[in-house]
Amino acid sequence: MPVTYRLAKDFNVAANIIRAAVAPNQIGKLVLELAGDIDQLDAAIDWMRSQNIGVSLALGEILIDEDTCVHCGLCTGVCPTEALTLNPETLRLTFTRSRCIVCEQCIPTCPVQAISTNL
Amino acid sequence: MRTVTEINDKINRRCAVVWTVEELKARVLTAGVTRIAKEVDVITTGTFEPMESSGAIINLGQTDPPIKIRRCWLDGIPAYAGFGAVDLYLGATGAVEALDGEEGRERGGGHVIEDLIANKPVQLRAIGQVTDCYPRPSFETIITRETINQFYLFNPRNLYQNFIVGVNGGDRPLFTYLGPLQPRLGNAVYSNPGAISPLLNDPDLQLLGVGTRIFLGGGIGYVAWEGTQHFPLQKRLPNRTPVGPAATLALIGDAKQMNPRWVRGCYFKSYGPSLMLGVGVAMPVLHEEVIARCAVQDQDLVAPVVDFSIPRRVRPTFGLVSYAQLKSGRIAIDGKSVRVAPLASLFLSRQVALELKQWIEAGTFTLTEPVAPIPMDRSFLPQDRWGAQMTLD
Repeated sequence: MPVTYRLAKDFNVAANIIRAAVAPNQIGKLVLELAGDIDQLDAAIDWMRSQNIGVSLALGEILIDEDTCVHCGLCTGVCPTEALTLNPETLRLTFTRSRCIVCEQCIPTCPVQAISTNL
Repeated sequence: MRTVTEINDKINRRCAVVWTVEELKARVLTAGVTRIAKEVDVITTGTFEPMESSGAIINLGQTDPPIKIRRCWLDGIPAYAGFGAVDLYLGATGAVEALDGEEGRERGGGHVIEDLIANKPVQLRAIGQVTDCYPRPSFETIITRETINQFYLFNPRNLYQNFIVGVNGGDRPLFTYLGPLQPRLGNAVYSNPGAISPLLNDPDLQLLGVGTRIFLGGGIGYVAWEGTQHFPLQKRLPNRTPVGPAATLALIGDAKQMNPRWVRGCYFKSYGPSLMLGVGVAMPVLHEEVIARCAVQDQDLVAPVVDFSIPRRVRPTFGLVSYAQLKSGRIAIDGKSVRVAPLASLFLSRQVALELKQWIEAGTFTLTEPVAPIPMDRSFLPQDRWGAQMTLD
């Protein structure tokens, strides 16, 4: 079944294929990043489940490589929720995961490529 | 009050009093300049920031038969070879020459310099000019810092005395040497660490000169010359600190002694590669004025807010802001509150000053008298059709 086609056509949901292992006559697995209107995302997931597609959700997360980070703080200026801040005492980068909305603007901003997502 | 010789004598006897410039600023607030000047012998300062006008001199050692290298690539990054037969200069901002259809990788000369310092292998490809002295036409090998003769950083422009604050007043995102600047004053970036920065604590460059020994990339380096674009005649505040980019220094130091913790390749999206470098300067407390200058605080230092949406040599500015405002994380521009981020690592700048302090306390780093002063009367000559002089007011 052309799943990503149906997601786009019927629900206006963009599906970015991150990983795919699909072979004939076997159970396949797709890792998709879905983007679209929140209600249509819910409807799309309900539709997939109705088609006997097992759906498990994984939220994207920002990862910071402590060994690579130089604590320059350049990312703090583009972080819209102030999840990334410099500690005024230690001057080290502080990441408050609960504030992060995974907008990913920090990733290309980092000059030493210390920031990535888990997807 | 003290001479460099007397201070070095104390360092060698492990009894010199050494403070970082942050410790000094805090103590002057409570004890005053005169009392502190009697107490402390040496003040250490440091910075860790991108310094793109940097590069490495490398000598390969001749091959057999010998080669006169004219073109050369280190991990695909071109190195300058227009001098001695196997002498190379690898610039920090040199970028990978992408092959047809290959996407340019986010890697440049700064990363190769970091890798060599970390003793990682680097691929070298060279094309020679065949002559009677040098018959070999080409050469390929893997080098490490152990298999090359000289490997030293020779950086034409480091240690900027103050810099600018970048913003974007236009309507599209800009990718700059200060990182991404978001449209409609979406963010601001400053790159000098302010009151802890070495040259803001010696505004008239009275304590250093050609030959001054410094901390460079975790090893020992020296001030080689005035830096390129050295502009000491920049307008100055009554405390003698400049209101924008001013003095610069050319630095030199043995890269084989350096540590990759303090020499880091970096890449700015859609701008290119660069090099982040830790540099530390120790100030001898020769007289009370040294303390008075080093006591300068972030609220007494300013930088101009420059609009990068106008791609001209002299860009419009939104006036001056203090480093105290910048370090608060927000500045007001045209009545709008704008988030500010640093580009220098304030954390690693502090670590440089601490490490240099430890070296001096351990007696492994002594101070030097400058061999020659840095000129303080250089004006700035732009390449304009009209040949006019810039006065950066």
